[in-house]
Amino acid sequence: MPWKNGYTISDEVGLADRDIRWPQARQMAVHIVLNLSVASGPEGITKSDLRSAPAVFALGEGLDLLLAALDRHALKVTVAVPAVTAKAFPSRMRELIAAGHEIAALGLKHEDTSSLPRDEERVRIRMTTDILSQITGAPPKGWYALPRQRDPFAGGTLNSATIDLLLEAGYAWAGNGLADDIPHYWVTDFDSRRSMLALPYYYHFDDQYFAMFPTKGSGLENSDMLARNWQAEFDAQYKRGRFFTMVLHPQHAGWCNRLELLETFLAGMVARPGLWVATGSDIARHWQSTYPPETHLRLEPSIWKDYPGSLS
Amino acid sequence: MTNSLEAEIEALATTAVTEVGRYEPIGKIHWPGGAQIAVNFTADFDAMLLRRLANETPSQLAKGEFGGRVGIWRLLELFDGHGIKATIFTPGRICELYPQAVAAAARSGHEIADHMWEHRVPKEPDLEQDHLRKASDAIARLTGRRPCGTRSWHTPALLKAEGFIYNSHGSVRHGPCYSTTADGGDRLVELPFHYAIDDAMFYNFAWLQSEPGEQRLSDPDRVLEMWWAGFRQQHRSGGYFNICLHPFISGRALRIAMLDKLIERMKQLPGVWFGTCADVARHCIAHHPPQRGPS
Repeated sequence: MPWKNGYTISDEVGLADRDIRWPQARQMAVHIVLNLSVASGPEGITKSDLRSAPAVFALGEGLDLLLAALDRHALKVTVAVPAVTAKAFPSRMRELIAAGHEIAALGLKHEDTSSLPRDEERVRIRMTTDILSQITGAPPKGWYALPRQRDPFAGGTLNSATIDLLLEAGYAWAGNGLADDIPHYWVTDFDSRRSMLALPYYYHFDDQYFAMFPTKGSGLENSDMLARNWQAEFDAQYKRGRFFTMVLHPQHAGWCNRLELLETFLAGMVARPGLWVATGSDIARHWQSTYPPETHLRLEPSIWKDYPGSLS
Repeated sequence: MTNSLEAEIEALATTAVTEVGRYEPIGKIHWPGGAQIAVNFTADFDAMLLRRLANETPSQLAKGEFGGRVGIWRLLELFDGHGIKATIFTPGRICELYPQAVAAAARSGHEIADHMWEHRVPKEPDLEQDHLRKASDAIARLTGRRPCGTRSWHTPALLKAEGFIYNSHGSVRHGPCYSTTADGGDRLVELPFHYAIDDAMFYNFAWLQSEPGEQRLSDPDRVLEMWWAGFRQQHRSGGYFNICLHPFISGRALRIAMLDKLIERMKQLPGVWFGTCADVARHCIAHHPPQRGPS
């Protein structure tokens, strides 16, 4: 096995708390992600997903309510948008930009592209970029492959092949990295040190796994647990001076009691001094200039050996 | 018809009796220094190996990778800060993926024990032996010491032959006991752990190849109270508490904070002994040897 391919995407030891610096010596960074997809499974947004009450709420009242909650504290967020959603609601996109939020790409229709041939995936990335650029006036800098409720795995579907195509297409960062709880580099080629910055994602801070999960009608409503997870992570990461991120869907986080939990959490959060609440591209810019991969990506030579009878 | 049913019942009854007979309980254990309870903090340092074995997606592997680059270091810092010696069940391959972390754990005085070569036990006896030796060699290379304990499905005869004294792998009793094969041979100390005191059951999607929809996530406040209740129950009954953690799960900041609270609470009670699994196994062998004859 060359290096640790197939096992790891980043370096051997993550950055320690004491080595983390945020702009103006702030205590911690906060990244709030609004997910505007209504896709329920890996195939991406379908007509039946769209012909549903939650889909209407998500781009209507739900989004209004979440934006109002964020606006109350002047919180700027990253909005992960499938191209098809931008196409359907262009004026919504312009509103979001005017309010200071960032639009990042969430695929053509938030589909899982990981098993597509390379050329097909390249075409889809280009189409997504073109549609979003046309509507928002600039190509998106960040790309998400966030999980959906019916996915077989809860971490999303980024892979090195996609990252490679995203680099080629001019993207600056990918949105759902799981190998750290701060920004980190996803290495696509060890020899050339080709890499892309990944912003952290973790499913315990994603509302969709606590809001009637796994499916509507199940009665499995655990939004109280979601709120406790947010709070526990925020408190712990604040103390460490690291990073807090959460993913909100209007159709989940925007609904009455859940909205109240969110508002309570946000009010407690902004009361803490020294927060840097920033959009994905602001965070990426800071990270790439403070911790450039040339000096901060520490790829140790591998001591791995292949043996018969063992996985390579 | 009746005959075959009788034979089936006979066979099932024999199986039940044989299985129960494989375990020799240890009565009231007198812990070192008159302690009231022995606590084993254990961490299964799988990182992404199990996900790789199941050929899962890169994001699943990256989720595990967190354990190797971040989580293990935080657990070591937590244990060291509390003066606790833990047992890190480490697959051999992890020694090649995260040599710095494994060496650091050993330097801090934690026990590095076996957790299979690549988180599986091959069916072929020769390959099984090869895997167990590779894993032990890999650990010895980094730590200077061969493991004496395992958390695995390895064959007891092989474990005995390779010098192992314990396996921490099931939940046959609350406390340590002796396990043998059906014919009474290949005796090992069994250090039980239970899935109810295992972080993966509360916080992790896709454990043991289950789908996300089959699971529920929990939060650290809730788990803290469950584990604290479990610990107090064992503390009252003069027992044993084995906590199974995974660096990629419990290494997340919110859970390190929860474990810190749990340890603080535990330390408030009298007579709590935090040892490694090897410490507990050796104590049992020295002070509560098996009564059923040599093996």
